[in-house]
Amino acid sequence: MAEKMELKEVEVWDGNYAASQALRQAQVDVVSAYPITPSTPIVENYGAYVANGYVDGEFVMVESEHAAMSGCVGAAAAGGRVATATSSQGFALMVEVLYQASGMRLPIVMTVVNRALASPLNVRGDHGDMYLGRDSGWVQIDAFNAQEAYDLTLCAFKIGEDMRVRLPVMMHQDGFLTSHTAQNVHPLSDDEAYKFVGDYKPYEEMLDFTKPVTYGAQTEEDWHYEHKARQHKALMESKDVIDEVFAEFKKLTGREYKRVESYMMDDAEVAIVALGTTVETARVAAEQLREEGIKAGVVAPRCFRPFPFDEIRDALENTKAIAVLDRSAPMGAMGALFNEVSAALYTTPNRPLVTNFIYGLGGRDFSVEEAKRIFKEQKAHADAGHITTPIQQFSGVRGPKLGFFETKRGN
Amino acid sequence: MSRGVLATEKRGIRELGAEEFVGWDEVTQGVILPSFESELKENVSHIRPEERDYSDFNSYTATVASWRVIKPVYNRDICIDCQNCWVWCPDTSIISRDKQMLGIDYDHCKGCGVCVEVCPTNPKSLLMFGEAEETEDALAKWPEKKKKAK
Amino acid sequence: MVEIRWHSRAGQGAVTGAKGLGDVVARTGKEVQAFALYGSAKRGAAMRAYNRIDDKPIINHEKYMLPDYVLVIDPALAFTDNITENDKPTTKYIITTHLSKDELVAQIPELQDKKERVFVVDAIGISLDTIGRSMPNTPILGALMKVSGMYELDFFLDSMKSVLAKFPQKIIDANMEAMTRAYNEVK
Repeated sequence: MAEKMELKEVEVWDGNYAASQALRQAQVDVVSAYPITPSTPIVENYGAYVANGYVDGEFVMVESEHAAMSGCVGAAAAGGRVATATSSQGFALMVEVLYQASGMRLPIVMTVVNRALASPLNVRGDHGDMYLGRDSGWVQIDAFNAQEAYDLTLCAFKIGEDMRVRLPVMMHQDGFLTSHTAQNVHPLSDDEAYKFVGDYKPYEEMLDFTKPVTYGAQTEEDWHYEHKARQHKALMESKDVIDEVFAEFKKLTGREYKRVESYMMDDAEVAIVALGTTVETARVAAEQLREEGIKAGVVAPRCFRPFPFDEIRDALENTKAIAVLDRSAPMGAMGALFNEVSAALYTTPNRPLVTNFIYGLGGRDFSVEEAKRIFKEQKAHADAGHITTPIQQFSGVRGPKLGFFETKRGN
Repeated sequence: MSRGVLATEKRGIRELGAEEFVGWDEVTQGVILPSFESELKENVSHIRPEERDYSDFNSYTATVASWRVIKPVYNRDICIDCQNCWVWCPDTSIISRDKQMLGIDYDHCKGCGVCVEVCPTNPKSLLMFGEAEETEDALAKWPEKKKKAK
Repeated sequence: MVEIRWHSRAGQGAVTGAKGLGDVVARTGKEVQAFALYGSAKRGAAMRAYNRIDDKPIINHEKYMLPDYVLVIDPALAFTDNITENDKPTTKYIITTHLSKDELVAQIPELQDKKERVFVVDAIGISLDTIGRSMPNTPILGALMKVSGMYELDFFLDSMKSVLAKFPQKIIDANMEAMTRAYNEVK
């Protein structure tokens, strides 16, 4: 039996420590990992918990992130509760195996501490790695602070392991801005947390010798498509389970999560849509602007995959102008979040004006002042009745103004 | 109980590639494929292949006999049970029991001739014949022992 | 909202100090934030750490701040780093130095009109005397308690004891002495 850890009602934890405590409390059987900044402390701490008797588990040190995720696939197929952590380049090296894990329907939990992708090399936070995983078939949930990184990591196990889902789950947090920022965190006791997550329920596990199974079969054009269709349906329908798990978590803790978080949106004319810590910083800006009489609000997809099209549409359809913020180099297109939000809003009668801001690449600071400026620009679009700037702009970049793609509506 | 080692109930009962195609709602979750229809009561290595309840996902129940144009014929009178062919056969199609060679699994043999190549007896205990050749005729045509050149 | 900016070198314990301060403050029912920007920085590289303290949950994640307190825990950084960046008329500076306040301010033009807001303490010297190595992070917190009046010294020391609980008793005692001396010696 693993030893219990006494936790205070309020701890001061950074996002990494919070996530590692959640892995400990979930009593993860196997962590197969290749540590990388800024997610290193998550697996480092798990290793220490194993060594000190706080987890009955195995920490498997491998030779690369590709091997780390392969180890996770093996251990999950064998029938264990499995987790790992990675960032950036490590995430990129895992990508091939991410698709294997989701295709085999293995409920691995990966705590991803978001970091920019080289080149140029950069250890700080942006969402390039999160976006790289968006077609990989994993559930992707995003935390905006350390408390959420803890809460949602516990939820991630319960979501992925539900028999109606059986899909791997990524739990995202912002590199440094969450992972290395200590804040007040209210943890559950070990018993409460484990009871919430529940015992691991195996499904067609390879270590069941009474029912030998093959994992990773080859299928060509005659079968592959049906399997992918089934997998997509499972991911789309995981939303109901996500809602259930969030509801159960609220009952236990009083802390409420939704697949789309909305702040000050009841009467909002202008809105920012964003992910990560930016959501909270934008809330500060919206609060200040409301004192100046601008009806500003913030909308954030808590769940990046499956993308909550219905709820995004509900949250935003009555606004006039929306800025969608993408913290990832878009490289030849609009930002991914802009595309999803625009798709969700295109079928509304009101069809708000939607623009795209690229910002914060490689950890560039995103300030309250800049958020206010962006809100005010949306207000100008709303007042003019059409988009008065290029649709895509770069926020906070040095040099001449950079923008792409012009509207054909209204001017 | 099955009909015997050389012709079992479940082996080669369907043509490989002629599966019934089903829709996305019927494929297995995660492409996880069970090898057997029912739960095993004991370690599968203790159950003889012809007695295992193989599922349709197992290649044991599929046949590739039609792929073959020439076939190996086995001559029990010459065989020394060295197991060379059993070791080398790429399709596990040499049937051997208690180190005694019993014959060929014609449901899975593709007629590659490797078993004949590796047979050490003189004359060989396995020889390739046309697919249509009757076994008795083949055995009647078996060559004599070759004398070593001095 | 109280905002604190630490100027430090990687390895001097600014991150530990900022988190330790956060830990103490959180015990009094306040909301805290402690973060630092580093990663690939080598030991010795100039770096900054930050604290925010408020009565309500802190949701601002910008790095930009107008600090109420600037803690400089490396003597040379007072000269080479831009310690007065985003200065407010009320910003207080606590600088580790072996110099007197007059000597220090005379050498740093940016501080000359802020002299009444500058406080000095030899946190390096104190840590060498007490802890036995250059570890200015805890003594500077002792000085901060005096300058800010944030908490009574005894309460603060007691709280820091449990923050440092993972260390051997000898180290805890040395840190207590260091913080007490800095509290008394800051000018």
